[in-house]
Amino acid sequence: MRLRVVVAAALAVALGVMAASAGASNGHKQANKLTVWLQVDAQSGWPDVVAAANQAFQAQNPGWTVNVQYQNWGDHLQKFDATIAGNDTPDVIEMGNTEMTAYMTSGAFADLTASKSQFPNSDHWLAGLAKSGLYQGKLYGVPYYAGSRVITYRTDLFKKAGIAKPPTSLTQFTSDLKKVAKMEKGVKGFSAMYMAGTDWYSALDWVFDYGGTIATTHAHKWVGALNSKQSIAGLTAYKNFFDAVAPKSAATLDEANPAPYTVFSQGLAGAILGPAWFSCCTGTKYKAVTGQFVMPSHVAGKPIPGFLGGSDVAVPAESGNKAQAIQWIADFTSTANEQSLQNKGNIPNATNLLGNTVNARAAAQSWFVPQAKHWVDVENGNILRTMLAQILTGKLSVKQAATTASDNIAYTLNQS
Amino acid sequence: MASAAETTPKWSRRRRFTWRRAGQGAVPYALVAPVVVVMGAILGYPLYSLVRIALDRYGLTELIQHKGVYIGLKNFGSVLHDSVFWHTLLRTIVFAATNVGLTMVIGTLLALLLVRISTWVRVLLTAGLVLVWSMPPVVAVQVWNWMINSENGVLNYILTELHFGNYFQHNWMQTPLSQLGMVTTLIVWGALPFVVITVYAALSQVPRELVEAAEIDGARSWRVFLDVTVPVITPVLLILTSLSILWDFGVFTQAYLLIGQPHITSANYLMGIYLFEQGYVNANFGLGAAISILMLVIVAAMSVVYVRRMLRIGDVT
Amino acid sequence: MSVRNARRNAWNVVGVAIFVVMIFPVFWMVSTAFKSDDQINALTPTWFPLHPTLKHFRDALAKPYFWDDVKNSVIVVLVTVTIAMVLAFLAAVALSKYRFTGRKLFIVLVIGVQMLPGAGLIIPLYVVLARYHEVNTLTGVILVYLTGVLPFSVWTLPGFILGIPKDLEEAAMVDGSTRLGAFARILLPLVAPGLVATSVFAFITSWNEYIFARVLLNDGSKQTITVWLSYFLGTSRETDWGALMAASTLTAIPVVVFFLLIQRRIAFGLTAGAVRG
Repeated sequence: MRLRVVVAAALAVALGVMAASAGASNGHKQANKLTVWLQVDAQSGWPDVVAAANQAFQAQNPGWTVNVQYQNWGDHLQKFDATIAGNDTPDVIEMGNTEMTAYMTSGAFADLTASKSQFPNSDHWLAGLAKSGLYQGKLYGVPYYAGSRVITYRTDLFKKAGIAKPPTSLTQFTSDLKKVAKMEKGVKGFSAMYMAGTDWYSALDWVFDYGGTIATTHAHKWVGALNSKQSIAGLTAYKNFFDAVAPKSAATLDEANPAPYTVFSQGLAGAILGPAWFSCCTGTKYKAVTGQFVMPSHVAGKPIPGFLGGSDVAVPAESGNKAQAIQWIADFTSTANEQSLQNKGNIPNATNLLGNTVNARAAAQSWFVPQAKHWVDVENGNILRTMLAQILTGKLSVKQAATTASDNIAYTLNQS
Repeated sequence: MASAAETTPKWSRRRRFTWRRAGQGAVPYALVAPVVVVMGAILGYPLYSLVRIALDRYGLTELIQHKGVYIGLKNFGSVLHDSVFWHTLLRTIVFAATNVGLTMVIGTLLALLLVRISTWVRVLLTAGLVLVWSMPPVVAVQVWNWMINSENGVLNYILTELHFGNYFQHNWMQTPLSQLGMVTTLIVWGALPFVVITVYAALSQVPRELVEAAEIDGARSWRVFLDVTVPVITPVLLILTSLSILWDFGVFTQAYLLIGQPHITSANYLMGIYLFEQGYVNANFGLGAAISILMLVIVAAMSVVYVRRMLRIGDVT
Repeated sequence: MSVRNARRNAWNVVGVAIFVVMIFPVFWMVSTAFKSDDQINALTPTWFPLHPTLKHFRDALAKPYFWDDVKNSVIVVLVTVTIAMVLAFLAAVALSKYRFTGRKLFIVLVIGVQMLPGAGLIIPLYVVLARYHEVNTLTGVILVYLTGVLPFSVWTLPGFILGIPKDLEEAAMVDGSTRLGAFARILLPLVAPGLVATSVFAFITSWNEYIFARVLLNDGSKQTITVWLSYFLGTSRETDWGALMAASTLTAIPVVVFFLLIQRRIAFGLTAGAVRG
């Protein structure tokens, strides 16, 4: 009979767990709590900016608490989707600027147009960044910060090769790099320029420099434009540049693995192309000989257009605290906060705050991805990376690869 | 068990409560009830909604409105008409077969090795295996990335130093075959400890006297192995093989993180990744649900033999 | 005997060689954690950090919520393993010792749950837990882990119970001890290796799980240790290999400790085979 007792006890334990799970209802939204999702970059890079915003917010809203939850780039959208399904969204969310369109077109965010004047410097927002938070003329995302892409280089090597000034044209840059390569021929694994072949954020600079683009709209349909004459000229120039100065082994690599600054810190690169904050991580050995300049265009004297990566903050449509959310965003993107973001190597969200850094100069000339609902699918499907790998390994001609990619992109963007 | 009870009628009569008679009562139901209740309560609704969503057009817009648009079997149609699905399925089957084969063969050999080595080596090897086992897949992937990175990965260094060729700055992520090969090394490495330790636990149930008696009788060790050891470890081997099939067929974390999102294309999709990319990343939840259900059907079909075998658990052999 | 010894020595050499290969990635992780950044980035690897630095461990521990999240993981794992073992053992006894209507249905159900593609259930599970306000709580995670761990345990344990020689059980009953006594004295020690193997599995599975914990837990102070670890990789900025490897090492330590604690049980289980009825 005692076996029965054991069984009954086990059953009781199981039911107890179920009951406990049904009873303990601390998942409920508290009335005076604002939930904010920021990317982990803020946690590691500028916690003081977040703290300042919270302090200002709490001063205006006594009795309110702000719960900042940090997210990873890799999975924050999947998490966000889950909270939408569960009626449990945060009140404020940070979004990458290329991620905005899909959510804006689906109605995920609250319309902030009426509150625009509440946001500091909103008349001077960086056009390139602000565009990503606009859909059909309405404001859904407040610009947070951006980062432009520049050349980080070894000043000692350039000086030793007899190069006195940063190059002002692509041709000059190429010949400078060739000089450096020749000088350092004996160093195993060294390349004058390290770049990951499939890094489309960099590669498309050439496309835009030669007047090309990714896709255009025609009669409410997307038309692929990578196979246009200009785009092909740009891609060909990219291939020529890569072949001339970058390591062959990097043709199919991406920019995350290895990170270009790692190669730099190993002393294996004369120059790298990427976000301006790369200068943070060039290694103790080369810290003193790290310089930066804006990548030159093929047209002498002009900078090459760079991809403007950045973040917006938005208010999910289901938030029950919209007024407070807007207030917190205003506090978060205050002039003082944006300036302190700039001090940490970012581009602030407004032109009137821009300092005269390399970073800021590069931001003046920028390109952005097509604002289509299904653009994320193009990114996630790695259509551009596949094209670049095909071009650089010579598997397909520039024209063939660009045409395939262009068709793929048009097909993906025109999905219902 | 039935036969055991039949051969011992005396005790049956003497005791009020027997294995066999109790079997006719409520006890077995009470024994399995907690498991059924817990799983039913947690999985009931999700399974229902999985089936329902699979019949809907359910994208980001529908997610936000909390309402799908019924489209019948269209999701299944578009998956089954997609050549990517069939290629992925074939690739996944070959991948899973390779991984399961390697894991089970190497794992069983290592378990048998554990029986034959001195205690100190056994303790050392077991400790090593548990260390390996204790590595969270998320961590193991990063260690792999770190070891095989093309810049200064230690793998390229070792291979070059051992004169296997010039692997300086060799890129292991260049082709789908090489990518999946690396995923296989990671998975087999991570799966071995579990298999070895479980098979070894089963081996330890082999009565040592029987083995020794047989050896003293002069029986060939191979015969002893077949007659005494194999019957004891067979149920465990079967369970491990089927579990490995399930895991390796649905593998996601290791493959996704090791290959890396920037290199995930339809040329290296595995079923788990295909499901994740279509369903979540592209926010086509209806299609994702349809793929989930198809995966379930495929795995179920692959396991038919095993399920039939499982149903005989406890039956008289 | 010397032939036997020679053979054993040969096997020992094989065993040590396999140990070296298997352990290398773990060694490489720990060794990297103690190296200086320059050594980590160098083209020629440093095998042993002769001047070990604790900098990376300090960096890792300086990340907020380490201890909170270790505590959360320990709670989740202990509760999951305990409940799963009790429930699964009962079901396993029913499966291996009783015949009853619906038995096959139960087995099919359990196997079916095991076959579910976990990734497909992320959002539906979130929805059901949100309905019961179990999002962002450890209870919700424990419930999800139970559905993952239970089928496996229910599958595995009957194999171990069936592996027990029947005459041992019968002998126990002849002893005249009570049924529960016989069960506790004879059956339990004999299935101990199985229970240990299964609970080790349950422990490690729930300790290592990442995806569901990531989706279900939001507050830094409520997360599990694997989620904490993922924050080393989540920035768009640098990957700090040293700190990542140090954090990974810290994450693996509790599992090693757990194994050391149950070592005695395993050894006991190994000798259990010699018990005669």
